[in-house]
Amino acid sequence: MSDHNQNALFSSYNRKPNLFDEVFDDNGTVKAIYEKLITLFGQHALDDYVHLNNKAKASFFNQGITFQVYGDKTAQEKIFPFDLFPRIIDTADWEKIESGVIQRNRALNLFLWDIYHEKKIIKDQIVPLSLLSSSVNYLHQMHEVDPPGGIYNHISGTDIIKHSDGKYYVLEDNIRCPSGVSYVVCNRTALKRALFGVFNHYEAHAVTNYAENLLQILESVKPHGVDNPNCVVITPGMYNSAYYEHSYLAKAMGVELVEGRDLFVENDFVYMKTIKGPERVDVIYRRVDDLFMDPLEFKPDSSLGVPGLFAAYRKGNVCLANAPGTGAADDKAIYTYVPDIIKYYLGEEPILNNVKTYRCDRPDDLKYVLENVDKLVVKPVDEAGGYGISIGNRLTKEEIKAVQNQVKESPRKYVAQPILSLSVHPTYIDENQSFEPRHIDLRTFTLLGKDTEFVLKGGLTRVALKAGNLIVNSSQGGGSKDTWVVKKDS
Amino acid sequence: MLARVANNLFWMGRYLERSEHVARYTNVNYFSSLDAPNAISQSRQFVLRSLLFMIGAPEQDAQKPLHEEEIIYNIGLNPEYDHAILNNVKAIRENANGARDLISTELYESINRFYHYVLNYDPNYFVKRGLYDFTIGVTQRTAILRGKIRGTLLHDEIYSIIMMGVNIERATQIIRMINAKYQDALMAKGSYGDKVGNSFEWTTLLKCAESYDMMRRSYRKTPTLLSALEFLVLNGDCPRSVMNSLNQVCNHMHILHLDHPPDKGSTSFLAGKLRAEFQYLRVEDIEQDINGFIQKVLERLYQISNKMEEEFFLY
Repeated sequence: MSDHNQNALFSSYNRKPNLFDEVFDDNGTVKAIYEKLITLFGQHALDDYVHLNNKAKASFFNQGITFQVYGDKTAQEKIFPFDLFPRIIDTADWEKIESGVIQRNRALNLFLWDIYHEKKIIKDQIVPLSLLSSSVNYLHQMHEVDPPGGIYNHISGTDIIKHSDGKYYVLEDNIRCPSGVSYVVCNRTALKRALFGVFNHYEAHAVTNYAENLLQILESVKPHGVDNPNCVVITPGMYNSAYYEHSYLAKAMGVELVEGRDLFVENDFVYMKTIKGPERVDVIYRRVDDLFMDPLEFKPDSSLGVPGLFAAYRKGNVCLANAPGTGAADDKAIYTYVPDIIKYYLGEEPILNNVKTYRCDRPDDLKYVLENVDKLVVKPVDEAGGYGISIGNRLTKEEIKAVQNQVKESPRKYVAQPILSLSVHPTYIDENQSFEPRHIDLRTFTLLGKDTEFVLKGGLTRVALKAGNLIVNSSQGGGSKDTWVVKKDS
Repeated sequence: MLARVANNLFWMGRYLERSEHVARYTNVNYFSSLDAPNAISQSRQFVLRSLLFMIGAPEQDAQKPLHEEEIIYNIGLNPEYDHAILNNVKAIRENANGARDLISTELYESINRFYHYVLNYDPNYFVKRGLYDFTIGVTQRTAILRGKIRGTLLHDEIYSIIMMGVNIERATQIIRMINAKYQDALMAKGSYGDKVGNSFEWTTLLKCAESYDMMRRSYRKTPTLLSALEFLVLNGDCPRSVMNSLNQVCNHMHILHLDHPPDKGSTSFLAGKLRAEFQYLRVEDIEQDINGFIQKVLERLYQISNKMEEEFFLY
């Protein structure tokens, strides 16, 4: 830690002039909010840093936040890659993000109510009927069902990026089973264990209050006539890749973590099987997909669900969060209409930008997309996890042809957007033992309850660890960073 | 508490206790045999056979020479070997995973550290030089887990379910050790008087149960068959005794059942009945037929455990 090591960690940082760097400005100077952090990190020699990095990894192993990789003979446990260098979001930026995601998700909630009831927005020709009738995620079973408290998307994960123009854009809405919030908490824990000193210099908002707010939200949408609702989290089981998150949330809320086989329905009420017999369940935070939750109503061969659950829900005897059928409002074709949806229901201008999106089911857009595949990101409408995305400037001629054919075959299935340049953040790359710029995004978490709302101050900053890669999803080799929303005076 | 999760916790407790006993039995037997007073007790083959007998995988062929490194590897770290400590620890963690939302972060993290310790232990080092370190490492970590269970969980039904598992397993393992050492003593007899009764194996047995020092405090005499049995089976003050385990089982049954008196044939009834019998049992009664006694107690413990599954976990 001697003087000549000052900023040794960043001395070889290779800033990319055409990209928006979150930490360094165009002249290569450290932005004010990161100054202290860079100095603090700079005090570590590379060896120190490698040691700290290993400490953080051990923290994940010990917390049991791992996933299995199946090799030839044995299953190996891996941790999700985590970068020790945190991302900081200042107060002004955060206020905009927070009000923006609340506005957006409230509008989507009103949209969901509408499309499962009177469908005014279609009668008023803001959103075309074809969009719903062709959506695989629109559940006709939800027609005229009133969810307790009028809430559909209790938990929303809105993905936001910063473009090279320095502005935030919403990349995608996730209002089915958005995951990742447990990593926000673990990332903070790991960073505190490895680098507790840095927290003396910044006042970051805590992230551990998510669970208590989630419980409050769940209790606010209790079924009619229940005083003290019994809330549970339902998981597909311990082999699910998000099981850690399910168990974390149940534990942090102090509620039971159940599987489908722990529940049964009798006379349209839901019960769980305890050591002392059946106990009624009122609110279910559902981490099982729509089509698997009730074999009587949806996929008949699902063993993850509870027979009769949907009938109990329809009667209002149990609340499901999120409501079934929310997928009709977060697919990538609906995305393009969200600014209109916000204006229609709230009479407000959208606070957060939408990325210009071409809908391949519109003849003009289709024509443009087919002619400009090389300049666009083409995405399937209903895939999650970064699957099926093609990024135009990375494709060979043959691949462009293939994309054109795919799109022509089923235009409704695809949308396209200009290739956005996600901002970059200095990220420690193990193989090269140095900090390098990597693309990042931000998943925010919004909770809506009956007359109440909450946004987690922070969120999951996801990093594309491969140089130049724009896809940050963990299933595509992405990592994450701790994210600090700082209080005004720090 | 969910029935499925209760089942996980019960077995977490059982595997926790089992890993500890297997590790300790292996450690004490191996190292006390090195300077044992007679040739039989010192023999590697004798010790290895005793280890296999205790874990429930006795070698049937009396002539077959056993390969030390292979047996040690199997008992410690062989993932293909059901009785291996490694697989017990995996089962602790697997069961803890199924109840992860109910147990404290501190307990879960300790389980995880334990798991990674065992999983990453170098098998080569283990069979050549690591037997002492590894088995001590395991017993220390199980003690940490018990501390975390006691110190970080609510002492409610969750705790009681885990402790039911721990105590039923402890009683079972102690009886298994007595059984193994009894068979050993029949072969490695002492050199004077009642040769089985005065065998060196009784000292080893008490050390296997971490009860040797306290036994000396109680009796102030070299352990014999009768005093060792009395101490490990009937002395309720000895924390490893079957009597002590039964007392705890009954206490925890009380927490699970609260007010209602036990139905005939229930877990609570079976455990209470066995305890009552033990209260009025004297070591002279056992002495007549030690083999028969061991088998009967094991059967009764299995019965309690089976009843427990039927009563609480069937879902």
